[in-house]
Amino acid sequence: MLTPPRLDAAAMAMVAAREFHDGAVVNLGIGLPLACADYVPAGREVILHSEHGLMGYGPLAQHPDEVDPYVFMVGNRPVRPKPGMVFMGHAESFAIVRGGHIDVTVLGGLQVDAAGNLANTHAPGKVAGNLGGAPDLATCAKRTVVLMYHTARDGSPKVVERCTLPLTAVACVDRIVTDVAVIDVTGAGLLLQEVAPGWAPEAVQAITGAPLTVAPDVREMSLA
Amino acid sequence: MIDKVVQSFDAAVRDIQPGARIHCGGFASPFNMPSYLIAALARNGADGLMLASTSAGTGPENAQALREQLADIVAWPLDYWDPGLLAQLGRIRRLITSFPVGTGSAVKWPFEAALERGEVELELTGQGSLAERIRCARAGIAGFYTPVGPGTAVAEGKEVRDFDGVPHVLERALHADFALIRAWKADRYGNLIYRGARTFNETMAGAARVTIAEVDEVVPLGDLAPEAIHTPGVYVQRVVVRPSSPSASWEAPC
Repeated sequence: MLTPPRLDAAAMAMVAAREFHDGAVVNLGIGLPLACADYVPAGREVILHSEHGLMGYGPLAQHPDEVDPYVFMVGNRPVRPKPGMVFMGHAESFAIVRGGHIDVTVLGGLQVDAAGNLANTHAPGKVAGNLGGAPDLATCAKRTVVLMYHTARDGSPKVVERCTLPLTAVACVDRIVTDVAVIDVTGAGLLLQEVAPGWAPEAVQAITGAPLTVAPDVREMSLA
Repeated sequence: MIDKVVQSFDAAVRDIQPGARIHCGGFASPFNMPSYLIAALARNGADGLMLASTSAGTGPENAQALREQLADIVAWPLDYWDPGLLAQLGRIRRLITSFPVGTGSAVKWPFEAALERGEVELELTGQGSLAERIRCARAGIAGFYTPVGPGTAVAEGKEVRDFDGVPHVLERALHADFALIRAWKADRYGNLIYRGARTFNETMAGAARVTIAEVDEVVPLGDLAPEAIHTPGVYVQRVVVRPSSPSASWEAPC
């Protein structure tokens, strides 16, 4: 049997962006999550926060005439200024994070385990990891969504029974969005909520390193 | 008369000694880095530095690669130098940071290479705890309990205490001898305003014995509206103005 296609990065970002309610304050991690900014559901207004002291920024600048040299987000990427935008310093920016004022954070992941522990900073083979603001965001945001490919480049599972890589934060993940599934972390383990079009729950389980409970109303992801 | 304006970058960093503890601001944008202060510190030659910075810095080669990569979007300044320059020159002994290594960079970050060779020490810390440790140094707070870190490597060797059933890690204030920061406008009292995200520039002001601000412009006293000042001058000991035309090399006296 042919394996059904997996979601591409844009579709993954779109699925994760459904988490943003109207008025949500959102922080997007470096990598895949950045694209979520382009898929905020129609009719909802969200405020994007960047750790270095920027709140309420607009989309990525695509042309030089859209660039304000003083409006960058993390990763050295110029973004478009937006009415209502606020600048601050790092201490204030992390008071916002630690104080629980971020509604949703979407972070990249290397491993997430059945207890909701997250490893997303220390790539194998690197002499050290980059913590960045991930420990603060993962621990203190009201909701932590991890957006990552379901398996590593070598095919090994990234959703695992127990993380083996250095932890970013413990028991912090609420939801995992991958290129084949949407999985919630619950007190009773991992709950498979949605599958990518064409994927059966059994096929998702087969490439997952921890047992999944299939939600009674498990459904196919809507990509419309 | 109070006048904190110093005439050159070299003069502003002259008394930084080997082994000094340095806070270095800036992050995420080439336009908020205290580049001329970093270059002057590189010319000063002090080594064995204990540096605190959000990031270990990309170093000159990666900066050039980024300059080319982003050329269609933004004119990346030629006079951009980050802590990677100090790492490349072997001046850093110990770095306290949240971003020690490069990902997808053209060449390995200089600090990362030195770490692999075992020549430097790393204290890896999350960005929020780094920021609050520095804010505490400015504010005279010895330490704080944060819910960030329990159960992970950053909590090793530190007190962990429950508050309302939630484990918190005790983090200590992080003081420095010198803070190198970048701002937009200053007056002779050292009052500062910034453009864009204020990053660690604002957070580090006042967390060191001597805070040195690299600014675009010094304006007459009274020109900065009192309600618009971000950093009160009491936190700042020295102010230096960036040159009107960019310096071609970090090695050129300035």
